[in-house]
Amino acid sequence: MTILKVDDLRCHYAIDGSVVKAVDGVSFSLEEGEIIGLIGESGSGKTTIAHSIMGVLPENARRSGTISYRGTDLTVLPEHEMDTFRWTDIAIVFQNSLEVLNPVMKVGVQVCEPMIRRRGLGSGEAEVRCIELFRMVGLDPVWMDAYPHQLSGGMRQRVLLAMALSCDPEVLILDEVTSALDAFTRKEIRDLLLDLQRTQQYSMVLISHDISFVSSIASRVMVLYAGRAVEVGPTRDVITAPRHPYTRGLANSTPDIFIYKDMWGIPGDASGGNSDAGCLFRARCTQAIDACRHSSPALMSCGNGWSVACHRGGIASLMAATGITFRYSLPDKRSLVAVDGVDLEVREGEVLALVGQTGSGKSTLAHILAGVLRPDAGEVWFMDSKVHGGKAGHRFGGIQIVFQDPFSSTSNRFTVLDAVREPLDINGIGSRSERLDMVRDALDLVRLPATDLFLAKYCGELSGGQRQRVALARAMIMRPKLLIADEITSALDVSTAANVLRLLKGLQNRRGFAMIYISHNLTLTLKIADRIAVMNAGKIVEVGNAHEVMLTPKDDYTVRLVGSRIGLCCHDHHTEVA
Amino acid sequence: MSMFADDETRSTFAWLPPDIQVIFDRIRSGLSKFSIEGKIGLFGLSLFVMMALFAPVIAGHPPDAITGDSLERPGAGHILGTDELGMDIWAQICYGARMSLLIGLAVAAVAGFGGGAIGILAAYKGGLADQVLLRVIDVTMALPSLPLLIVISAFMGPSVVNVIVILILFSWARPARIARAQTLSVKTHAYIIAARNYGAGSWYLLRRHIFPEVLPILLVLVIGITSHAIVAEAGLAFLGLGDPTSKSWGMMLNYATSFRSIYFTPYWQWWLIPPLVALIALLLCLAFISRDLERVLDPKLRGRRNTE
Amino acid sequence: MRENRAIISRFLLTLMILLTINFFLPRMMPGDPFSLASSDVEGEDVVVMTEAQRAYYMEYYGLDRPLHEQFIIYLKNLAMGDLGKSISNKMPVSGVILIHLPWTILIVLAATIISTIAGIILGTLSARNRKKGVDRFMMAGLIAFAEIPSFLLGLIMLLIFVVQLRLFPIAGAITPFANYTGILDWMGDVARHAFLPVLTLSLSQLTGVYLLTRNTLITVTTKDYIRTARAKGLGERIVWTRHALRNALLPVVTRTGFMVGALMGGSVLVETVFSYPGLGMTLRSAVIARDYPLIQGILLVIAVSILVCNLAVDLIYRRLDPRVVAQGG
Repeated sequence: MTILKVDDLRCHYAIDGSVVKAVDGVSFSLEEGEIIGLIGESGSGKTTIAHSIMGVLPENARRSGTISYRGTDLTVLPEHEMDTFRWTDIAIVFQNSLEVLNPVMKVGVQVCEPMIRRRGLGSGEAEVRCIELFRMVGLDPVWMDAYPHQLSGGMRQRVLLAMALSCDPEVLILDEVTSALDAFTRKEIRDLLLDLQRTQQYSMVLISHDISFVSSIASRVMVLYAGRAVEVGPTRDVITAPRHPYTRGLANSTPDIFIYKDMWGIPGDASGGNSDAGCLFRARCTQAIDACRHSSPALMSCGNGWSVACHRGGIASLMAATGITFRYSLPDKRSLVAVDGVDLEVREGEVLALVGQTGSGKSTLAHILAGVLRPDAGEVWFMDSKVHGGKAGHRFGGIQIVFQDPFSSTSNRFTVLDAVREPLDINGIGSRSERLDMVRDALDLVRLPATDLFLAKYCGELSGGQRQRVALARAMIMRPKLLIADEITSALDVSTAANVLRLLKGLQNRRGFAMIYISHNLTLTLKIADRIAVMNAGKIVEVGNAHEVMLTPKDDYTVRLVGSRIGLCCHDHHTEVA
Repeated sequence: MSMFADDETRSTFAWLPPDIQVIFDRIRSGLSKFSIEGKIGLFGLSLFVMMALFAPVIAGHPPDAITGDSLERPGAGHILGTDELGMDIWAQICYGARMSLLIGLAVAAVAGFGGGAIGILAAYKGGLADQVLLRVIDVTMALPSLPLLIVISAFMGPSVVNVIVILILFSWARPARIARAQTLSVKTHAYIIAARNYGAGSWYLLRRHIFPEVLPILLVLVIGITSHAIVAEAGLAFLGLGDPTSKSWGMMLNYATSFRSIYFTPYWQWWLIPPLVALIALLLCLAFISRDLERVLDPKLRGRRNTE
Repeated sequence: MRENRAIISRFLLTLMILLTINFFLPRMMPGDPFSLASSDVEGEDVVVMTEAQRAYYMEYYGLDRPLHEQFIIYLKNLAMGDLGKSISNKMPVSGVILIHLPWTILIVLAATIISTIAGIILGTLSARNRKKGVDRFMMAGLIAFAEIPSFLLGLIMLLIFVVQLRLFPIAGAITPFANYTGILDWMGDVARHAFLPVLTLSLSQLTGVYLLTRNTLITVTTKDYIRTARAKGLGERIVWTRHALRNALLPVVTRTGFMVGALMGGSVLVETVFSYPGLGMTLRSAVIARDYPLIQGILLVIAVSILVCNLAVDLIYRRLDPRVVAQGG
């Protein structure tokens, strides 16, 4: 049964004449015995939500909405009535700071204080219970006579926890309880909280920016951005397969979840003012559309207790291929099925790695997806129009492809300028000087010199790595929404390949385009891919989250593929596969 | 883009080294941000300064000669009347301004900037010198100043120089301590280490980093010391410990209150009130200036002085 | 404990320096302080000493002995409480001091208590009504007050209440030759005489206490532990008294301690204005009369009591604030 229900909570602070909307319409409900996590970065409003529930907002704050505890609306209660609920029904462990405890009172006294005043315990009884509480949180009771400044950060945190538990509340709110703690203490606190939930049916609201901690203990999770909830749902689903671009960005920024993947942040900063009408995340979003400018999306359910706040319903599908089949005709009247009934989906802003060995058909599939080859069966849809015969490569925001062999992807006779400018020339985009500027920008993007001298060089004079980058610049000049990179580093030297790959991934993160990265190297793709599709003999044998596919492969072929790694490695890869 | 608030500043102070120019410029642009009370204070102070400078011209009578009957009412010949000996009171006020301002500014300049310099150097050098200075400052500030002031000036004999010297000895410790604290805090900042890394010498560091941090606070302190010195001198004179030949306002108060029937006669109205009012007015002007200056320099002040 | 020792050692050092200054003072004077006839200020009484008196002072100060012996004699005399004989009063210095000290203590203590209580009340009022009219008005008024030195304030009080309005007596601590009908009548007379000096002294310190209380309270109410106390559902009263005031009043209480010392020193001027026969006024008359033993004695008493007061405050503060104890001073 629902023990705490927050409905359309809004909190505004009046600071120096302007209004800051710290919380802007957040709703959630907490079931009895449940632990829910509120995840967000600074400015997301999560601490304000905690303080709102307790009713300890500062004077310049205005609160609206309802907060119901067991049916009673706490927001309309006068202070002294609210006091009857504080601590004995809902308690909070505040964020640990130097002055969160009264510096001139011993910590034991402060822990006993609510017991004596709210529960009517005598001071002797309170002390006994205090000793119990201290032991429970892992503190030696001798510290009861200490003053707050004599304790370390971790010890103070435990005192705060003991103090919150002192009156046996029903609901516990925990605000960043692990930020000052080392790994061991963090685990101990987590075990303690789980134990409390199990044995004494505590319900908890866990507030943190530490996704790993929250994911280890909360059953449901709510992601907050700029005072609004952007995604709510079961913890595992939300974090490993997020539906909102912000959640995906958060997961990518956390090294603990997908430990082989390189860490990338979310470009841009959280905006300071939040007084505009549209979606507050759109400046950093990979898939913003016109509607995002006009109104802020509401949380919409997508089933299974999962909701996303996005005008596009979450991370949208960018390209969908269904039933793709392609046959090569061989001279001897036989046909080779290169692609056999492939279904594939690419979503906005994601990196999908297409992994397969020679002859698996991945290049053919890439060409079909790019619209270069026409499939014998099936369709490829890209942003509401069919790809083949369409003009997906002719315009900005379309599909671009970069090929494997740098020496044939650019013409020897073309200068760098000509090569990069080619798509603009073909499609008559922009004036001459505008094209020149765009070429320079594109070259800057790929970290090639944009000088006249370099522009005048012939592609034939460049190295493999440089030519590949020129090809990349040529693709980027059209600002693609989907980039297909077909084995672009396999023909390069190791060090050059690493540089190009990092450049590419950086571009992808910054510009937010989706990418299909085709490779035969599984480990490499683990570093950059969100999802992996494994291809064998024209079929997709397995597709899913990159780490899951790689570390817990289900298909035989994938298992063999993973097991085929050889050579020196930091750990023995025969035992790495679970 | 010029780094000055206006070109006038630049041309006026063009002959000074650039860092000092910047300080003056900051002061000038800060002054323009003064509130009304600050401007009133400045205006009043300048009136007093005028009074002191042009005393011989505006007094009308010499302050130490008998120019009228004893205890004349304010009237045509004597604007504020005369005192017991027949000396013009207005003249005494004018010349008294000289005494107050001279003592106040002399003590403030030497104790304030001198003490500040000692504090900066000790903190900068560190080591034994700094420890010794800290001790000396501690003890100096622990000594009860007023009783000692009274007794020492009683024993040393009344003279303007003595008073100034004694006041300096009692006033230098606070600016020294504050300057020292500021210097210590600046010294720990990473930009000092970075500058040293680039080869900056001591004089450069002092001039470019430390003085600009410390000077604003010292400025505010100096005004405070001026007030204190004026009060101390007036107090000493009032007690009868001042230079009897000097025409300070405190001395006037002393003579007036020593006059046996001062409270039973109307003479206090023109003998006692003018020096009283003059002192209070001067002190209030200084106070207004000091508070405004502190407010204007506020973002640059890191060590706050006590709001006593 | 280490810090206590540092405080005590600083106290002792300052005390020694004080005693040394006190010792050297008369000896720094130009001329002989104990000549048979002295005074060069017209209008003042000429102090004339008999041979017997002069012999006494030679003996008491050991003026015919070398300097370091004089110093030892000086310290010995102090240890025995012998401060010498006052030239102008013709009685022991300690006797003179004991007659006048109680009056000073009376007005100093009264002023301390009044200014502390009034300052705390006004400061709390201001803090609770921050930025509103009450606060602004009090701030402006009291800050202007603080700039006027105490003796000028006293003069103004004197002129208004005594001379113009004739509400209070003009001088003294009690009406001379009065017949009292009882202890209450006596106390009333004392109160009438002490009223203006106490008022002046209180006003001179009021602003300091007021500002300190106000600012400390404002700072404290924004602290995290106040929010914690509120979240515990303890109720406004307990949050305010047990948590807020307890932290905020700490600096105020210590300031009160220092105030006693400051007022002891500053009472000289105020007593002179009101001709109040406390120690301060006695010092002034001693100075005018060039009564050196008396001057030294009074200086010693005033200065030492200030030092002792400050020492007591320093030590007590350490016990009240647990944070200071741990930090190592």
